Amino acid sequence: MNIEIKDLHFTYPAGVEALRGISLNVPAGEQVAIVGQNGAGKTTLVKHLNGLLLPTRGQVLIGGWATTKHSVAKLAKQVGYVFQNPDEQLFSKNVGMEVAFGPRNLGFNSEQVQSLVNDALAMTELSGKTETNPYDLSPTWRKMVALASVIAMDTPIVIFDEPTTGQDAMNITRIAHVIRALRERGKTVITITHDIDFCAENFERVIAMAQGKVLLDGKTNEVLQQDEILATTYVDPPQLTRLGKKLGFKNTVRNQEEFLAELKNNYTS
Amino acid sequence: MHERLSFFVKRDSPIHRLNPMTKVVLALSLVLIAFSSPWYWTPQAIFLLAIIPLTFIARVVKEYWSFFLKVILPTVSFLFVMQALFLPGESRIIFEIFGLEVTELSAQLAFRNATRIAVMVSSFTILLLTTHPSELMSDLTRRGLPGQFAYVIIASLQIIPQMQAKAQTIISAQRSRGLDTQSSFFRRVGAIVPLVGPLVFGSLVEVEERAIAIEARGFTSTRAKTSFHEIPDPSSERVIRWLLIFLVIISLALKLWLS
Amino acid sequence: MAIVNLQNITYKYPLTDVPVLKNINLQIEEGQFAAVVGPNGAGKSTLCYTLAGFVPHFFKGELTGSVEVAGMESSQSTLDEWVLNVGLAFQNPFNQISGAKYTVFEELAFGLENIGVPRDEMKARVTNAMDLTGISDLANRSPYSLSGGQQQRVALASILVMQPKVLVLDEPTSQMDPIGTREVFGVIRKMAEQGMTVILVEHKVEWIAQFADRVIALRDGHILLDGTPSEVLTSPILEESGFGISRYTSVARKAQGLGLWKRDRLPVTLDEAVEGFSLSPSVPSSSQSLKGGGEQLS
Repeated sequence: MNIEIKDLHFTYPAGVEALRGISLNVPAGEQVAIVGQNGAGKTTLVKHLNGLLLPTRGQVLIGGWATTKHSVAKLAKQVGYVFQNPDEQLFSKNVGMEVAFGPRNLGFNSEQVQSLVNDALAMTELSGKTETNPYDLSPTWRKMVALASVIAMDTPIVIFDEPTTGQDAMNITRIAHVIRALRERGKTVITITHDIDFCAENFERVIAMAQGKVLLDGKTNEVLQQDEILATTYVDPPQLTRLGKKLGFKNTVRNQEEFLAELKNNYTS
Repeated sequence: MHERLSFFVKRDSPIHRLNPMTKVVLALSLVLIAFSSPWYWTPQAIFLLAIIPLTFIARVVKEYWSFFLKVILPTVSFLFVMQALFLPGESRIIFEIFGLEVTELSAQLAFRNATRIAVMVSSFTILLLTTHPSELMSDLTRRGLPGQFAYVIIASLQIIPQMQAKAQTIISAQRSRGLDTQSSFFRRVGAIVPLVGPLVFGSLVEVEERAIAIEARGFTSTRAKTSFHEIPDPSSERVIRWLLIFLVIISLALKLWLS
Repeated sequence: MAIVNLQNITYKYPLTDVPVLKNINLQIEEGQFAAVVGPNGAGKSTLCYTLAGFVPHFFKGELTGSVEVAGMESSQSTLDEWVLNVGLAFQNPFNQISGAKYTVFEELAFGLENIGVPRDEMKARVTNAMDLTGISDLANRSPYSLSGGQQQRVALASILVMQPKVLVLDEPTSQMDPIGTREVFGVIRKMAEQGMTVILVEHKVEWIAQFADRVIALRDGHILLDGTPSEVLTSPILEESGFGISRYTSVARKAQGLGLWKRDRLPVTLDEAVEGFSLSPSVPSSSQSLKGGGEQLS
């Protein structure tokens, strides 16, 4: 399920030109993070992937399907979208029914739905909470319910909108595990995030946006190397990248493993 | 974001400059006189001789007439037709349709009642067009309206439109989970719970925080409140208000006396 | 002089069985900048509410122990008095905007109107608060037309006009983008530098490490650790208990295991990490000049 975006322009009804010519491809199975300050157009861009927004000019193709030719409900079979605030999604009596909502809408039969729900709950550590009312859970666990609700839809592409905002370290770890599990299943994962450390540690490709355009697009280490351009998006580089730079490392590092490897190299050199 | 606040239109006019209480008393007086006066032509007279001139003096002609054509006229026309067809009373039949009769009496009463409603809605429309909600509530609070009451009204004016944005997000989120909002009627009825549910529950979650936030700013303080805006209340206006009240009393008295 | 004195505080929300705060003992000196860290559910927000008087006066429930803040005592003072001395701000700026006012200036004056401050003083306090938070140019805008960072600064300013003696902030940057975070931290720092007693709940450890005088680690309603940022944030207990710690600390700990970090103390800030790693032999000399000095390598 490839994503192709061709010269995408989008202007809101009120007149704001939010996207000014975006062209990029995301092959199936890739993990991409989109960074940039608020107003850069990140959310506007990903809303085109499931048809919530349609291009003013240009094309968006999901697995060859033009988003203009299919309803959002239809595209939901290919693209799952986890919104930022779980309280804007949760409404069911219990967690089990909430998570079943998505797959049921997609037309799976009850056996399949059950199996998908169980799988999603296991991935999000919610297996024991099927009968609990989502609003009886803490915000931390409500977030996981929202994640499970979309995972259960078993879409080849999953979009996360600011998954780590307001989460504590343990939940961020859980979310990182979920993303890794999705990667192992060959899913395409696209994330919008302000948390550059989370981005650097979990994503192979980074797209930096500003004012409706793509400024940088490439492998994480390469993008992180371009600090002057990154600075224009008001995104601070990850902690370890900064440290590596100050210590004069030859290569840009993006996580602890790479940092330690570089450190060791400097010893042996 | 477009900052059109409910009805209020910012302009400089003699009406705008009046103290909010004076405008409230004026609106109420026009309504009470229109409803109570024994003279048949009162509502019509008020409409022609008070309401219409007021829209010019207050310089809100365009806004008022736009609202009139879109809301007031259709509503009172509908009321007129309904009343004309269904009000009982023995008199000459002037019109008949599908077995329903319009008599002279019913037509007269319908016309009077419809005009009364038009006067009522128009008075308050002019009030709202010329008075900033904040000022209105401040003034009423100063005169004894409970602070919480005023708060609920004002906050609703601002927070409800903001909640519309939230509702949009909820709709997007549920559509992204395959909720079909465009097909048959029954499917759409079934879509109500997933759309309204989060709006209600989510808002309840936020209500507590909101209550704490205003509490933290002394909202329930028992001290005497002060007001940032000075709202002048010249004695001339006080006289006008008493005059209006006097007219209302006369109107009511006449009605009682003549009935 | 301790401006905050919590003794043996245990608190249970109404209709619950498990106390959210368990035997908390906490003293904070006037002018101190104390950060509170902990996983979600640890009781951080409840602690904030206790400091701000909302526990128990707003939430009711069962509170045992003594709470003394800014000369007030929990059982003696009402919430009315409490909010005059302790300011409280939290995560979501949208919920902190009253909705009752149409401009930022009036929004800031709202609290002062409620407590009966005379008009001239109101103007002075509002102007001052806007200067402190850098929002003077937003005075005539509608609070709802602002960005997240601007809204949060309006929320902070509307608390600062009340001239509290203690400022309690519950994750004020959690929902901000990088610019908003910077703006909000800028205001908090300024208040702290001016001598305000600040209690800040935060997940962004790197920032706390640089500016807080003290860090309190809370878990399951208990205070696990209480000390300087360096002491607390480098403690192995934090990493084991699932707290967020700075990557500098974490990577240095691993490096220590490999013999690549020679110092006794682990770093919490970027500068400490640079300094510590630069002392390791065989690191290219360009990094030495960055630090400008430091010990000679043998």
